[in-house]
Amino acid sequence: MVWKDLLVERRSKETLNALFFFSLLLLFVFQFALGPDRERLAGTLPGLLWLGFILSGLLGLGRTFVVERENDCWEGLLLAPGDKAAIYVGKLAGNLLLMLVVETILLALFGFFFNLDLASVLPALAVVIVLGTVALAAVGTLFAAMTAQVRARELLFPVLLLPVEAPVLLATVKATEAVLLGETLGSVAHWLKLLAAADVVYVAVGVLTFDFVLEA
Amino acid sequence: MRRLLGGVTLAGLVAGLVMGFGIAPREATQGNVQRIMYLHVPSVWVAYLAFGVVLVASVVYLIRRSDAADQLAHASAEVGVLFTGLTIATGSIWGKPTWGTWWTWDARLTSVSILFVMYLGYLLLRGMIEDRERGARFAAVLGIVAAFNVPLVHFSVYWWRTLHQPPSLMKPGPGTMPAIIIAALLVNFAAFTLLYAYFVTRRARVLGLEAEAEA
Amino acid sequence: MADNWSFVIAAYGLAAVVLVAYWRFLVRREKELDDASVVRREMRQETGRPEPQAGASRSPSP
Repeated sequence: MVWKDLLVERRSKETLNALFFFSLLLLFVFQFALGPDRERLAGTLPGLLWLGFILSGLLGLGRTFVVERENDCWEGLLLAPGDKAAIYVGKLAGNLLLMLVVETILLALFGFFFNLDLASVLPALAVVIVLGTVALAAVGTLFAAMTAQVRARELLFPVLLLPVEAPVLLATVKATEAVLLGETLGSVAHWLKLLAAADVVYVAVGVLTFDFVLEA
Repeated sequence: MRRLLGGVTLAGLVAGLVMGFGIAPREATQGNVQRIMYLHVPSVWVAYLAFGVVLVASVVYLIRRSDAADQLAHASAEVGVLFTGLTIATGSIWGKPTWGTWWTWDARLTSVSILFVMYLGYLLLRGMIEDRERGARFAAVLGIVAAFNVPLVHFSVYWWRTLHQPPSLMKPGPGTMPAIIIAALLVNFAAFTLLYAYFVTRRARVLGLEAEAEA
Repeated sequence: MADNWSFVIAAYGLAAVVLVAYWRFLVRREKELDDASVVRREMRQETGRPEPQAGASRSPSP
């Protein structure tokens, strides 16, 4: 597992750079597409933030198994002894870390460019972001393994992931919206409970079914 | 056996039409356009039934590796997508004269659309994996994830929007519809369920024959 | 309020078209596969090769 962690870290650094520039680019595109109308832009900020999270997430998550695939290590993965679920958890943790770093950067950029006061709402925002990201990473890691060997994987991966994540997206955007307006986490408790439930379900399903995905 | 099922299905559908057009009265507030409900509501029920069967068949497949379970899951998903599409289409056609718009992001249409895309993705996945055994395994995993997602979709969308009429038969408390309309709905429910069973058994058989042809 | 029968007909018509089309697809495909398997079976009997065992059990059409 240590070898796995080192592998994850090495891949993360190259992915991190690319995702950072991608996030910056997204920000510019949002500004160009929606910038002229200042009011409307402000209203859509929670949505834009999560759009940015999920688009960079798609890129990062989709590459979860690229090292194994490109270096012909896939057989090694399939034949590895022991519980395959450990591989899932390892990859999930790596993806989670990667996504949270990218999201932090993106959030900071958002705060800078759109002049948001993030300091006061940061703890509440962090809760929402972590809950949502776990849900994204849990399903993303599972689906990445399933689409790794498919010919049109860049197409199939988002097609599978996005509909499944629709409720998570709804919940996180609604909760973020409330938090950015200064409301308490308690006021969005139902959304948070939904996210927590999603997290539990997705991780559990991932752990339980990964053995079937990585069967030799 | 299948002829019997086919015959009963046909009888059921005819009965449903008779109930929907002949016996059920013209609805008070909406007029005759309400009769589309006898198509729309049973369709969405069949869709949920189909995806429930996909869940069960997927779990059975992963445990027992039975080809029959795999074929059942595949057939049920396909028929489910068919009826989901029909739900969306009939809902939209009903919506135009009623709400004045072809589309609206209300709770039911939105959740059903998400369902539609999810299970369409399931069929896509199956189509894109050449190895039969791997395709069956992955589809089973996806079938399980998608099924667990259904309640999440339902609640999230419902909390997000409440434009649509509240679900008519699932609401506790006194019903808001006259008994005759409920009766017509139930007959159509039964007819559509029979149609689902008929389609799925035939489709599963075709899949079985295809598997044999490749063997 | 107008009865909008055209919409009702459109909805039922669409449903009928889609469901009948799917039914015809099923019938046609099943016939193709049944015919193909009969041909395969005959060819195998001629050459004396054993039949492969597929996982699914094949029930004869009623």
